[in-house]
Amino acid sequence: MQHLHVSLKNKLEEIATLAEAIENFAEANNLPNPSIFQVNLCLDELLTNTISYGFPKGGEHEITVEIVLRGGTLMITTRDDGLAFNPLEKSEPDTSQGIEERPIGGLGIHLVRNMMDDIEYRRESGQNVLVMKKHINPLCSEDIP
Amino acid sequence: MNIKEAKKDKATVLAIEGRLDSSTSGELEKVFLTIMEAGEKNIVVDFAAMDYISSAGLRVLLMAAKKTSKLGGKVVLTALSANVKEVFDIAGFSSIFTILASQEEGLKAF
Repeated sequence: MQHLHVSLKNKLEEIATLAEAIENFAEANNLPNPSIFQVNLCLDELLTNTISYGFPKGGEHEITVEIVLRGGTLMITTRDDGLAFNPLEKSEPDTSQGIEERPIGGLGIHLVRNMMDDIEYRRESGQNVLVMKKHINPLCSEDIP
Repeated sequence: MNIKEAKKDKATVLAIEGRLDSSTSGELEKVFLTIMEAGEKNIVVDFAAMDYISSAGLRVLLMAAKKTSKLGGKVVLTALSANVKEVFDIAGFSSIFTILASQEEGLKAF
């Protein structure tokens, strides 16, 4: 199984279901834990944003996540029909500020931009489409039983 | 997520088990506010049994750090896994929090 397709409703509880599907996918493909931790974290950040702010009128919406493993790279595509939101246009937080100056929030997208190797956004037929690439470090030989 | 709370001599220890994310961070925020209202300003958050944190969790920790700092206290974090430590590094939180290897060391930081 080098391809995973998950369809979610716009509910925060669905993120845990997605994480479980990704963990099973990672296990089946022998993917290293740190990379999968980061993929799950990035999808959590993005979907939490979409579910919390993307549908101000409410109602049930479908969000899809597609993951393809090819040549040591995961290609991750998310699609939703929420409000247009390009995470690449969000300003970067100043991570050098101290406790007092540091504003609360704004870190989710920052984590995504740092953990993914490539991110492209487009608005297509009323949908937000985000395509991300994550290079997977091959397991060290001693990790393979 | 579970939170085990223990009042020690110089600080209160909160041991987090499981996932600290957007669906559980509100619970931790409530615990922070309750113990600070009761007068505590020194807190050790033990992550030995915590396997996941997202920005929602970082947000609550920063809020607690700001509040305890105003009271002349602090939040010390202990036993971060490698994955969690990397999240802290990228967020720039490793330099604003005291991070130590174990709960025992954390309690000596006050």
